[in-house]
Amino acid sequence: MNRILAGVALLGLTAGAGWAQTNTYGVLMKTLANPFWGAMEQGVRDGAAEAGIEVIVQAVESDQAAEPQLNACNAMLETPMDAFITAAINSTILLPCLKRANEMGIPVVDLDGNLDHEIAAQAGVEIAFSIGSDNVAAGAQAADWLVSQIGAEATGPVLVIEGLAGNITGERRAQGFADRLAELAPGLEIVARLPGDWDRGKAANITNDVLTAHPDLVAIFAANDGMALGAVETVFAAGKQDQVTVIGVDGNSDAVRSIRDGRLDASVAQLPYLVGKQAVENAGRVLAGEEVEDFIYVPTLVLTKDVLEAGTEPLLEYVR
Amino acid sequence: MSLLELEGVEKAFGPVQVLRGITLKVEAGEVVGLLGDNGAGKSTLMKTVTGVYAADRGVVRFAGEDVTLLPPGERRRRGIEMIYQDLALAPQQDVANNIFLGREPTRRLWGLLPGHVDKARIDREAQAMVDRLGVRVPSIHIPVGMLSGGQQQTIAIARALTFAPRLVIMDEPTAALAVREVNSVLALIERMAADGIGVILISHRLNDVFQACSRMVVLQRGTVAADLRREETSMAEVVSYIVGAHA
Amino acid sequence: MTAVIRAPLGALNRALGRAHVRAESLLVLVALVVVLSILSPVFLSLSNFFNILLATATVGILAIGATFVICAAGIDLSLGSVLGLSSVTGAAMSAYLGLPWPFVILGALAAGAAAGFVNGLTVAVARVPAFIVTLGMMGIARGLALIISGGQGIYGMPPEILFLGQARPFGVPTPIFILIGTALIAHWVLAHTRFGHHTLALGDNEAAARATGIDVRRLRLMLYTLSGLMAGLAGLVFTARVNTGDPTAGLTYELLAITAAIIGGTNLFGGRGSILGTMVGALIMGVVQNGLNLLAVQAYWQQMAIGTVLVAAVWLDQIRQRGRVL
Repeated sequence: MNRILAGVALLGLTAGAGWAQTNTYGVLMKTLANPFWGAMEQGVRDGAAEAGIEVIVQAVESDQAAEPQLNACNAMLETPMDAFITAAINSTILLPCLKRANEMGIPVVDLDGNLDHEIAAQAGVEIAFSIGSDNVAAGAQAADWLVSQIGAEATGPVLVIEGLAGNITGERRAQGFADRLAELAPGLEIVARLPGDWDRGKAANITNDVLTAHPDLVAIFAANDGMALGAVETVFAAGKQDQVTVIGVDGNSDAVRSIRDGRLDASVAQLPYLVGKQAVENAGRVLAGEEVEDFIYVPTLVLTKDVLEAGTEPLLEYVR
Repeated sequence: MSLLELEGVEKAFGPVQVLRGITLKVEAGEVVGLLGDNGAGKSTLMKTVTGVYAADRGVVRFAGEDVTLLPPGERRRRGIEMIYQDLALAPQQDVANNIFLGREPTRRLWGLLPGHVDKARIDREAQAMVDRLGVRVPSIHIPVGMLSGGQQQTIAIARALTFAPRLVIMDEPTAALAVREVNSVLALIERMAADGIGVILISHRLNDVFQACSRMVVLQRGTVAADLRREETSMAEVVSYIVGAHA
Repeated sequence: MTAVIRAPLGALNRALGRAHVRAESLLVLVALVVVLSILSPVFLSLSNFFNILLATATVGILAIGATFVICAAGIDLSLGSVLGLSSVTGAAMSAYLGLPWPFVILGALAAGAAAGFVNGLTVAVARVPAFIVTLGMMGIARGLALIISGGQGIYGMPPEILFLGQARPFGVPTPIFILIGTALIAHWVLAHTRFGHHTLALGDNEAAARATGIDVRRLRLMLYTLSGLMAGLAGLVFTARVNTGDPTAGLTYELLAITAAIIGGTNLFGGRGSILGTMVGALIMGVVQNGLNLLAVQAYWQQMAIGTVLVAAVWLDQIRQRGRVL
């Protein structure tokens, strides 16, 4: 019995030791039909190219396609690889496959922080590290910037537009914003937290309705740029652009253009390119036997018209 | 000159010869029963009359003109109407709209916008037609699907009669009706003939045929097996022709 | 109990019959307005009325397309995706190709109509079931929108286009004019033209439509093209409102559009429906969403509320239909 176990362990070792020969990382994304993931993929590719590593990149059709992602994961493991980097669609669906990867001696990297280390450990999966933006911090950063603009003594109603109901990313951003705002400027009251479903049109409607209920609205925080852009266009149509400050999250190209146009006030830019690049670099460190943090946070950057026009911020290089 | 004249009409579907030279005449104001077992060629024959099928050989003459090569729409405009067994009614549309289905009259809305269906005219003329036929329906504004089978049959007839047809072909009009309803449909047929319309009645119900038709044509395997006058024949003779047992 | 509801509804229905609107859906709308007026002090105001209509514009225009197709016993699941494709195509005309603003309108409408035409050809000529065809188009149009835009929003429309989405001539947001104008024309077409009569007949009994000489193939082709055109118009309004050609615009809107049509009394199996009814259905959904926003109701409860209204509205319809054919 012991001998068999030892044999299995040995097999695992040889598979693990094979990395030097394959020099290949498997990368499983959510979807590429979105500039955010597209940029992250580019970061992965550039990071790999610099390190002289092959990457096999796969993605599924949408960021809701959980089961197809599990199928893709299983299929990918048929190819020998040194490390498996994945942006899981949810915190549980890939666990059986990731366990298999571990058993084959392949370390697993959690791209964009979709996995939960505790739940994974219970399922027998060891995550080498998670890397991504801190969504709570991104929300808080938006609150910081808002208060820096209108002052800690400001009073008035504030609208928060969340993402799809139940989506953790949107909730974290909204929560981070709400908590920090309460701390910094208690006079600013969040009068509504409504689900915009990541939908520009729905965010526009919500903005209209809340402007009716609270004509003295002073600020809107939307959990992504698309919704923030829907909100800001509505604010302009209502002629309230001087009264309402609108902030989004992501730093998408259309948001950047809107900010340059003087419409959207700010966007907390994530730097998915940097996330992808650093994921590959840190995977290399893990394989080399170095210690890395369990959670690696890639910074976020508040984009405003001033920041964009000055162009001096070094992180701007990574904004699409 | 007869209203409808068929001369040596033949029709085959691939290797199957369905009609083998049919010659037949129907006069205006005459009700002719078309009989025959399943597969004798009744439906195919009628479809060569309405134009749904083109005859392979032979001539179809209507009111003295050769219509053999005309499409169904043109034959319909000349006065050939067919009432199908499934009635082809739209159950959720009202009685009046069903009567004018596919031939809705239009006018200009506010004297400007063309193509506005003249619902007032549809209702008026449908009501007139229903009254003229003595059809009893609760209202011409209710959906046809709410009517009984007999009432639906009379609506289908009303539709056929709205455009002053000269020949009406009816496929099993009494098959699904209650006895009382059968009588009113047969009475309608009588009145159509009295108005000078030629009627061809396809039916399996010999009682109905004997009551309504002055002549009976029996088809057997694509040929006319018998062409009989009601006064000169009996039900037994007709049946023997249908089953092919006549000496 | 149902008899108690039925008798007065019957009378009201006859009165509304001329306008092709069902009393049940109107009743639901009135009840919602009363309840929300009590719950929110700002609900009952002209400016909030405009909010509701403005929020209804995109889905309302889609629902017009959905109504035509469903009346003919068809279905168009590609409406939302075609909206996205039109949004991107229109925006690309100006942002990528540098063409003047009329091309934005032209591009959006043409993209919608073209997608609808392809649907129509495949359904009417190739005779593939509409459910499959439009489900396929749902993916094709969305994919195409993402390809054209590279997955990014195409930001920045000319001022003439923004006028269509953001201006308020006579104090009324432009999309409301577009919605009402389109709905009135569409209502006339469905209720008062031969095309409309034939559409309902086709949905009611295809054999009857054929037997009475209606060119069913041509009719289907026109219906799906019309549906696509409506998606194109909705895409244009969407683009103008948010100042962006958005490849993800209209995600799942086809379900909202179909729901509006059904709440408004369109028979899901064809043969019955009206545009004014659909507008009432769309308004019901708009009012519910608006009320939930005004009251700042939490996300999870919103979904329950909307689901409940759908079932309630259709249940009232069932009460009326029970004991009747179809």
